[in-house]
Amino acid sequence: MASRKEGTGSTATSSSSTAGAAGKGKGKGGSGDSAVKQVQIDGLMEMMRSLRHVNIDHLHVGWYQSTYYGSFVTRALLDSQFSYQHAIEESVVLIYDPIKTAQGSLSLKAYRLTPKLMEVCKEKDFSPEALKKANITFEYMFEEVPIVIKNSHLINVLMWELEKKSAVADKHELLSLASSNHLGKNLQLLMDRVDEMSQDIVKYNTYMRNTSKQQQQKHQYQQRRQQENMQRQSRGEPPLPEEDLSKLFKPPQPPARMDSLLIAGQINTYCQNIKEFTAQNLGKLFMAQALQEYNN
Amino acid sequence: MSRFFTTGSDSESESSLSGEELVTKPVGGNYGKQPLLLSEDEEDTKRVVRSAKDKRFEELTNLIRTIRNAMKIRDVTKCLEEFELLGKAYGKAKSIVDKEGVPRFYIRILADLEDYLNELWEDKEGKKKMNKNNAKALSTLRQKIRKYNRDFESHITSYKQNPEQSADEDAEKNEEDSEDEDEDEDGVSAATFLKKKSEAPSGESRKFLKKMDDEDEDSEDSEDDEDWDTGSTSSDSDSEEEEGKQTALASRFLKKAPTTDEDKKAAEKKREDKAKKKHDRKSKRLDEEEEDNEGGEWERVRGGVPLVKEKPKMFAKGTEITHAVVIKKLNEILQARGKKGTDRAAQIELLQLLVQIAAENNLGEGVIVKIKFNIIASLYDYNPNLATYMKPEMWGKCLDCINELMDILFANPNIFVGENILEESENLHNADQPLRVRGCILTLVERMDEEFTKIMQNTDPHSQEYVEHLKDEAQVCAIIERVQRYLEEKGTTEEVCRIYLLRILHTYYKFDYKAHQRQLTPPEGSSKSEQDQAENEGEDSAVLMERLCKYIYAKDRTDRIRTCAILCHIYHHALHSRWYQARDLMLMSHLQDNIQHADPPVQILYNRTMVQLGICAFRQGLTKDAHNALLDIQSSGRAKELLGQGLLLRSLQERNQEQEKVERRRQVPFHLHINLELLECVYLVSAMLLEIPYMAAHESDARRRMISKQFHHQLRVGERQPLLGPPESMREHVVAASKAMKMGDWKTCHSFIINEKMNGKVWDLFPEADKVRTMLVRKIQEESLRTYLFTYSSVYDSISMETLSDMFELDLPTVHSIISKMIINEELMASLDQPTQTVVMHRTEPTAQQNLALQLAEKLGSLVENNERVFDHKQGTYGGYFRDQKDGYRKNEGYMRRGGYRQQQSQTAY
Repeated sequence: MASRKEGTGSTATSSSSTAGAAGKGKGKGGSGDSAVKQVQIDGLMEMMRSLRHVNIDHLHVGWYQSTYYGSFVTRALLDSQFSYQHAIEESVVLIYDPIKTAQGSLSLKAYRLTPKLMEVCKEKDFSPEALKKANITFEYMFEEVPIVIKNSHLINVLMWELEKKSAVADKHELLSLASSNHLGKNLQLLMDRVDEMSQDIVKYNTYMRNTSKQQQQKHQYQQRRQQENMQRQSRGEPPLPEEDLSKLFKPPQPPARMDSLLIAGQINTYCQNIKEFTAQNLGKLFMAQALQEYNN
Repeated sequence: MSRFFTTGSDSESESSLSGEELVTKPVGGNYGKQPLLLSEDEEDTKRVVRSAKDKRFEELTNLIRTIRNAMKIRDVTKCLEEFELLGKAYGKAKSIVDKEGVPRFYIRILADLEDYLNELWEDKEGKKKMNKNNAKALSTLRQKIRKYNRDFESHITSYKQNPEQSADEDAEKNEEDSEDEDEDEDGVSAATFLKKKSEAPSGESRKFLKKMDDEDEDSEDSEDDEDWDTGSTSSDSDSEEEEGKQTALASRFLKKAPTTDEDKKAAEKKREDKAKKKHDRKSKRLDEEEEDNEGGEWERVRGGVPLVKEKPKMFAKGTEITHAVVIKKLNEILQARGKKGTDRAAQIELLQLLVQIAAENNLGEGVIVKIKFNIIASLYDYNPNLATYMKPEMWGKCLDCINELMDILFANPNIFVGENILEESENLHNADQPLRVRGCILTLVERMDEEFTKIMQNTDPHSQEYVEHLKDEAQVCAIIERVQRYLEEKGTTEEVCRIYLLRILHTYYKFDYKAHQRQLTPPEGSSKSEQDQAENEGEDSAVLMERLCKYIYAKDRTDRIRTCAILCHIYHHALHSRWYQARDLMLMSHLQDNIQHADPPVQILYNRTMVQLGICAFRQGLTKDAHNALLDIQSSGRAKELLGQGLLLRSLQERNQEQEKVERRRQVPFHLHINLELLECVYLVSAMLLEIPYMAAHESDARRRMISKQFHHQLRVGERQPLLGPPESMREHVVAASKAMKMGDWKTCHSFIINEKMNGKVWDLFPEADKVRTMLVRKIQEESLRTYLFTYSSVYDSISMETLSDMFELDLPTVHSIISKMIINEELMASLDQPTQTVVMHRTEPTAQQNLALQLAEKLGSLVENNERVFDHKQGTYGGYFRDQKDGYRKNEGYMRRGGYRQQQSQTAY
């Protein structure tokens, strides 16, 4: 699995956070502006050249992005992943959460765009109709690819070595109860997203209203025209020429729905995060309670 | 040459009929003799007299000249224009004409013009040739002049009967002029020249002036005389105008009453002298003129003018100096005042000389006072431009003069001075009755004060010069005090109010160090207190202000003086830390309500007072009051402009030059300035002391409002900094301190607010710096405690007050009182446990998570609502069902909201 995602050879990513990934990947917030992107791409090419230089079989099949609290579902990610996946079928994006990892559990996930979304992206048409037609919802935007981490034996040996050396406290970090901050942050981020969602909906609402209003006007206009033509006909005059209705009534610009899809996806991730987190914490709390009772 | 002499005598004989012509000499007439003639006063006296008259007459003659020119080229339109101007000019000169009689040249032009017009009118053919405009102008002018001449009928007829006389005068004048080489001379010579060749164009004629003049001198009498005659009779010749001018010069002096017989004799003698001199000069001049007659001539004229001014001659030698003479002289000098071309410096000198003469001749104090008044007025007049300020020497003179004047007034209590005394009712010398002099000492002093302000405004405040000028302030104050004493005795209440205000304006901004010292050190040993007393002879400024202001409050009837007095009074109170008096006075005056209707200087004063009030409140530890007082000034970001301490550059394009000048004049002189950095620091620190606990208390409240926008702006600026170094500026210090305070870390906060840098920049500027610093430390401790409790109460079940008192180095009762207050105000959900001296938290407030969850729920509610609307739209009328649901949501929200949104936790705490 590792070889599949990070290049062909057995190199580069024996461990998820080691040099290979860093060299090829993008830094956190790969969404940065184009200049930053350019630098990153340059770095990427550099790395490729270097790899070729030492005669290593290389094929890059994706990139990684570090993020925190799972806030990675963005437009930038979508665009980048699309271009990768468009060029190389097998491309994936690795999402790495350093904060969560620091708390004791490795947080590494691989994602791909679903074929449906790929099609929509190829069309570059994010109008409500197109999305509706494609039958895409936020659940079916990304598909998670299971990750299997495979290290070389040497590294396994090192890991064993380290584990023995590490202090007891480090091992029990998982059991730490002080995690309210994490939850708070998640909630706040979720709130922000909900706000955005609200705005988006309001925007969409206005659009809908405008369209229907215009539709009504158009209808009225057509009726009037028809009536007049009828009169003219009865008087024996030639009917009025047909006018281009689309010129008279320019339909309002429909808001791009992709953003709201992304936001919904993001909200979904947050919710899952929170769910996961609270489930774990509840377990911990119960454990702690049991322990305390036992001690007493 | 003999001709000059004869004509000279001729004119003399004439002068006996036509008044005192001899005494008067043309301008700069005795150019050569001038320096010698110091004692021989007569000529110069007359000369000075003439300047007013001269100006008018010159105007007239110039106009006449153009008319004549126009007549010659048959430009009737031009004639008409000029004639109208002439009429106006004559109107202006009316006062002089009344005195001197109608000038002959004026009559002459009127007569000639009429003749000329009639001639044109008769000349049918010529008329036909005329263009339309001219023809029209001709008829108008003809009518006009007919009408106009009716007033002068008698003069004109007499002139027509006896044109020679004027011609003779001209001739006589002519020679005088030619020998005197003044500006009139060219006219004269032109006249003579033109009489010979009257057809020569006048423009050219001027070029030959000098030469012709000389020729003229050599030419025979008879020929000349003939010329005169023809010239005067042929009305359309150019020469007429020149002659007219001569008549002007001549007739100017006609009405002058001969002073004494002696004068006449002296004049005769002089005439002879002149004639002699003429010989010498003539030869010299001939050489000179050949090269550059005109230029040389002009130059000499110019040289002559200042000379004359430097040596002002007052009276003829031997004239008995009486009151009447001096007053007349004074009036003559004053008539020139304010007119264009009057040398103001010379005028001042003349007046000063006059004072000397008056003093020498013991004419009494009345006259001297009157002249002094006028000297001061002339000194003020010296600068025609409002924006420019007096020169130091002028200023010094002015101060001295006022002082002298005051001396006299104090020494002679029987002199009455007042604006309301009319010129006619003045009594300058009758010693039996009290002397009455017109003039207002108060106005003079007010003007002096203005000038002082102007000088200060226009001096670079960082230069030694400014210090030098500032030294005059004491003198100004002394003068004001003297005038005050004088007016207290003699002035009306109104005047007293005005001088009191002036006094107040010079007192209110000064910190009374002596009084301050006295307050600090109560009298100890007898020896020391004696010494103190000697030092403290003067009235306490507070007492003084009280006395002056109360008088104004009681007696003043103009609103402005009272307003200013109140503001100054408040300012003075505030400056001396009498906060409650200052505040009460401010509130009682109700000035806040209507100050926007006042004029800008008063508004500036109001702003200054408000600021001073705020700073005073801060010194007293009343942060809230300080903040409120300073809010208006600081929040606008234009404190500099509002306090009149500088112009803003950015608004330069909005206002034009004129406005800028006005604004510049409004600026407060530098020594009255309020330190802007101190002001801002006081404001920011008081905002910090208010805002930080407030922010801590309302951390999660979405609807909380800012107390001080400016403070928040500073905080944001601080946050935006990518790299935070140690604070440098005052603002950075405050921002750093605020951050420390947010964490309840009062020690760091303290070290940021009070340290070397801040001491030097701000705190040491207070008169009681140490007291302020102590107050500030205490405030920081208290507010930090409050902030700490707001921020961290959620992590405590209970907290011992002793711990708190240790943490914040406050004594237990204070901690107790602060916490009690917070509990009473429902800011802190806790109760005090008396036996253990602990604060027990109730934990009724939602925690951070709970708060967030509540907010999230609220937001989700609105999201659903919005979503439903979209759905409604799609479904058309189908939405009724969901509407009910919505209400359900609202209910839910209401339910959730019950807990309130006070949050006690900040994420940064972790």
